[in-house]
Amino acid sequence: MANILLVDDDTKFLNATTDLLQMLGHTVKGASSVEEAKTMAVASNYTHAILDLILPDGSGLHVLDALNAENHNLQVALVTGHASIKSFVMNLYGPNIKYLIKPIDLEQLNAFLASTSSNAAKQDSGIKKHFGHLVGESAVMQKLYEMIDRVATTQANVMLVGESGAGKEEVAASIHFASQARGAFVPINCGAFSTELINSELFGHEKGAFTGAINRKPGVFELAQDGTLFLDEITEMPIDLQPNLLRVLESRKVTRLGGTSALDVNCRVVSATNRPEHEIARDKKLREDLYFRLAVFPIHIPPLRMRKDDIPLLVDHFLTDLNLQYNAKIGIREEDLNRLCQYDWPGNVRELRHCLHRAYIMADQATGKIRLPERIQSPFSRLETTQNNGIHFGKTVEDVEKELIQTTLEHLDGDKKKAAEMLGISLKTLYNRLNSYTNTCAE
Amino acid sequence: MKRSTSALIHDVRNPLNTISINAELGKLTLQKNGDITKAIQIFEAILAECRLCSKRITELKDSLQDDPAEVILKEERN
Repeated sequence: MANILLVDDDTKFLNATTDLLQMLGHTVKGASSVEEAKTMAVASNYTHAILDLILPDGSGLHVLDALNAENHNLQVALVTGHASIKSFVMNLYGPNIKYLIKPIDLEQLNAFLASTSSNAAKQDSGIKKHFGHLVGESAVMQKLYEMIDRVATTQANVMLVGESGAGKEEVAASIHFASQARGAFVPINCGAFSTELINSELFGHEKGAFTGAINRKPGVFELAQDGTLFLDEITEMPIDLQPNLLRVLESRKVTRLGGTSALDVNCRVVSATNRPEHEIARDKKLREDLYFRLAVFPIHIPPLRMRKDDIPLLVDHFLTDLNLQYNAKIGIREEDLNRLCQYDWPGNVRELRHCLHRAYIMADQATGKIRLPERIQSPFSRLETTQNNGIHFGKTVEDVEKELIQTTLEHLDGDKKKAAEMLGISLKTLYNRLNSYTNTCAE
Repeated sequence: MKRSTSALIHDVRNPLNTISINAELGKLTLQKNGDITKAIQIFEAILAECRLCSKRITELKDSLQDDPAEVILKEERN
């Protein structure tokens, strides 16, 4: 059955068509403006979109841009009153868009919904996406899936703790997907708002509430009604603004700035941070009372180095995605895949995707294989590795020792004598260690 | 006059679209679960849209009667 986004400002048509499609067994979400539709476009797995061309705040084509960014396998139909609009839009957006000509009947709808993307078919035959978002079959990911399944059936607020690039937003979208919430998934970044605007973004404002408030604006709690509000980088929210958020979470009511009546809030709040919990407490990044409200169910997202078994699957997934995007068939050599599996990926899945995209652009067209750089390391990941001194949960003492020796040698331009002195070991021990690493690599 | 006609086409197409979808919905409602109450609501919606179409056509007819070009044409015919 299809998962449909229906966008039309004619509410009588919107409601009747939603009813009709639901009776036919499809899942339908309706929106009556570009803004509303764009909110619904985020982190959803629509198979089909039916868009009115002219909307009060723009065009269906604006929604199309947002949808295409999320999903390359989407089937799109524009609702138009006149067949002549076809050729005009086709020139702009290519032949893949279909058209429903008013007055629309069941035959037209069924013909459109029966169409599936050839790309989608190819994608389906490949890698399993858990909850429509997550790729990986390793043991740590299975544990994560179980936690998502468990929490999805409850109303509990979730706090995601994971390193940068580990996929916190994907996990938040998975929780939303698994909970089958009626409302939308609304992601916001708490670090991106200015202190002056954050209250208006969170709680909304009435017209004339302050200079520049020319219209009434709903806050993110309202937009996420019956859905999921994702507060990314929650620990970046200024501490003096945190009591306002706490009040909404405690009272489950929100009042728009300049408003007089309180609105009921009913949404799950998923927050995320890349700071470990002990650091949040030590550096007082989050008020204790707010932490307990948000982290009813904390979930730790494993870094990529703890699930290296998933790297081949992720590589396959990203390459499939890139091949769909560029309509090509680029693969990877076995030795390159091994190199990717050996690297630690301090920037996690995001770094892997970035590295693959770059290698994809540099691909050797003659062999049809991606071309990796000589050194797989971004300046940021190097910085992070150095700052952390390689010490993190899940590493062995041998790994840490190896990294310490390598970092010391790098700092001293390879001077082994100085390095041995600095490390407090004999030169002979240093050579023995270095030989053992070379032997391990050769094996 | 040309503008009035194209405005009418636009104004009538939307209610016709709602009529079409509601007719399909009514048919399916009666076929699938025989929900008479819901079917009556759907037929009411169809009737309301028919009245809206009729109103738009009357408005166009009235505006044509006031159209100076139409008046001249009538005079010439007479």
